Amino acid sequence: MLDTVREIETPEGISLRLRAAGAVPRAQAWMLDLLVRLGVFVLAMIPFSLLGVGGNGLAMLLLFALMWAYSVVCEVWLGGQTLGKRALGLRVVNADGTPVTWMPSVVRNLLRVVDALPGVYGVGLACTLIDPHARRLGDIVAGTMVVHAAELPAGTQVPKVAAIAPPVVLAADEQAALVEFAERSGQLTLQRQEELANLLMPLTGRRDSGAVAQLIAHANWLLGRA
Amino acid sequence: MELERISVVLRPRAPREALDLGAAMLRANARAVWSAWFAFTLPAFVLCNTLGVVVGLPWLGLLLMWWLKPLFDRLPLYVLARAVFDRAPGWRATLRGQRQWPWGSTWAALSWLRIDSNRSLRLPLELLEGLPRRQRSARWSVLRRRIVTDASLLTYACLQFELVLFLSVWLLTWMLVPHEWLPDSLRDFFRVDVHAASTAWMLLSSLVAYLAMSVIEPLYVACGFALYLNRRTQLEAWDIDLAFRRLRQRLLANGKALAVLLVCAGCWSLPVHAAISPQALQAASPTSLEQVFRQPVGAADRRFADAAAEAYRDPRFGGERKTREWVFKYTPAPQAAATPMQPLFPGFAGGVAMILKLALWLLLAVAVAALLRFVWRWRGTRAGVDAAAVSRLRGLRTQVVADAPLPADLAAAVRVMWHAHQQREALALLYRGCVEQATRLLQLPSSLDMTEADWLRQAAAMADRARAQRVVTIVRTWQFAAYAGRYPDDAAVESLLAGWPAQAGAPA
Repeated sequence: MLDTVREIETPEGISLRLRAAGAVPRAQAWMLDLLVRLGVFVLAMIPFSLLGVGGNGLAMLLLFALMWAYSVVCEVWLGGQTLGKRALGLRVVNADGTPVTWMPSVVRNLLRVVDALPGVYGVGLACTLIDPHARRLGDIVAGTMVVHAAELPAGTQVPKVAAIAPPVVLAADEQAALVEFAERSGQLTLQRQEELANLLMPLTGRRDSGAVAQLIAHANWLLGRA
Repeated sequence: MELERISVVLRPRAPREALDLGAAMLRANARAVWSAWFAFTLPAFVLCNTLGVVVGLPWLGLLLMWWLKPLFDRLPLYVLARAVFDRAPGWRATLRGQRQWPWGSTWAALSWLRIDSNRSLRLPLELLEGLPRRQRSARWSVLRRRIVTDASLLTYACLQFELVLFLSVWLLTWMLVPHEWLPDSLRDFFRVDVHAASTAWMLLSSLVAYLAMSVIEPLYVACGFALYLNRRTQLEAWDIDLAFRRLRQRLLANGKALAVLLVCAGCWSLPVHAAISPQALQAASPTSLEQVFRQPVGAADRRFADAAAEAYRDPRFGGERKTREWVFKYTPAPQAAATPMQPLFPGFAGGVAMILKLALWLLLAVAVAALLRFVWRWRGTRAGVDAAAVSRLRGLRTQVVADAPLPADLAAAVRVMWHAHQQREALALLYRGCVEQATRLLQLPSSLDMTEADWLRQAAAMADRARAQRVVTIVRTWQFAAYAGRYPDDAAVESLLAGWPAQAGAPA
């Protein structure tokens, strides 16, 4: 089965799911960052231009900081997110899912030189398209990856009805499916709800609206409501 | 719909994440996609450029190849759609399969919809669902609702990617030319080559652009297809459908199903036995994409068409809906543009205007003065209050020493302090003395953590009512002084100092 998730199991037996971010959102985040940095530079040039040669020196220093320090500082102190990444809900993490630290962040941002190679990020783009987790060369060397940090689209609250215990013991993923159905049934048409509920006739023994109501009652039971 | 055959993980994703799924699908089916792509587009590339050279317009090849993109888009989509629901077809099958797909939408995309930023999303809708025109537009409005921004952004991103790859090739070549040759070759290039061999350069550009397009265009189609899949998963809960099917199969296979059914039928007395039979499960499993997407729709299947029409009547799928908004009950009459009127007596009007202006300035001055005066007064009061509060607090923080030994003659000591205007300290001393006497009287263990309330309670337990009354009076007096700042007059203090606790040996 195809997916973009990288699954990591901790020694405690907890599986972490890192949803790798691909070339398109990353490019958009980079464009946003570029615009932010350009804006800061242009604004700073207004006072600097009054200072003559000294102002030029300060402008050079600022340019250096924006080019090299901006990403590292943002990634380490703002939870792995530059401003562009924050806007697009992306985050840099270590390959094992831990928050990115100084060393990997510095390495991945130094290697931007290689990724930007012909001057327009051609190498980085090609690498992101080829790698299964959409890492560029800097990411591969530093052992980091960029993941989606934004919350998943969620359904609504499960409607409260009197809980009914399901007649058979359900596995964890089956329970999750029932609860998911109850949460998202508000987004589906009535016909589709009934169609889905009719699939579970062996469980509910009812059809159509009765089956939908029964499944929602089961979901209430699974959620531990009285 | 034969969802069980799907080969991607269905789960609710944000649209941006769905784009990445598209890239993953493309990576998994790279060979099938690009073999079909080059099998069709390479001849097209040669043809277009030959045409350009023959006509004498070398740039025509570049333009034509760009213009024909919507035509080429059909190939990756064909491969990916089949790869997701079945398995990837070879390039021959892909080319042959193009005949089954409708052409109308492609003509539209090649003509008036050529500059449409939602092409990637339109493609699967038009080619895979193959609905009649009216239903298609209703369906389009549902499908695009939450993701039209992402589709447009995808188009611009892919445009940028193509540009990046195109420029990368040129810049890389330029970087590989040795530096000492660079001035000469550049001079030659601009002086001779651009004019002499412009056709060759144009063809070379066309080739590079074609290569960049070959990399990015399948990605564009795949990302659009993934967006489409994700939106349908969201609209129709495909992931739940799959999970329910698996659960249903487990229940039926367990054989417990029959028992459960019997129980359920007993409980709700519903005739459900007949509905589920093993035969029903083993209906012929559709294998072709036509069966998966039910194509063509509605021609023979009357019942399905009715059901579809019913579904479209749902407000979430377009149709009529009621909205509420506030509007003016009385529409204001359009005002004629006010033409400046000529004053009758210009001098008089000017004078009035001057007077009013002066009055306004005066008003402003008064307002400012009032404000300043208010600020001044406010500052003064605030400072005064603060100073008073601080001095009062300082007064409160006098040393009420709790652990110094009590004087031998308590009454005299208290009286001296009282007359020296150390009223609080005097009463504190009296309270301490009273507490000590009471402790001795009741033969309690000396304890530091007894509060005034505790002493009031202890007083109630005293056998001698007169002494108990005196303890209560002293504690109360101290409480009023300590917590409310209310001090007794001299006579009341004198009465407190006479007799038992202050004069240890005295009777009550």
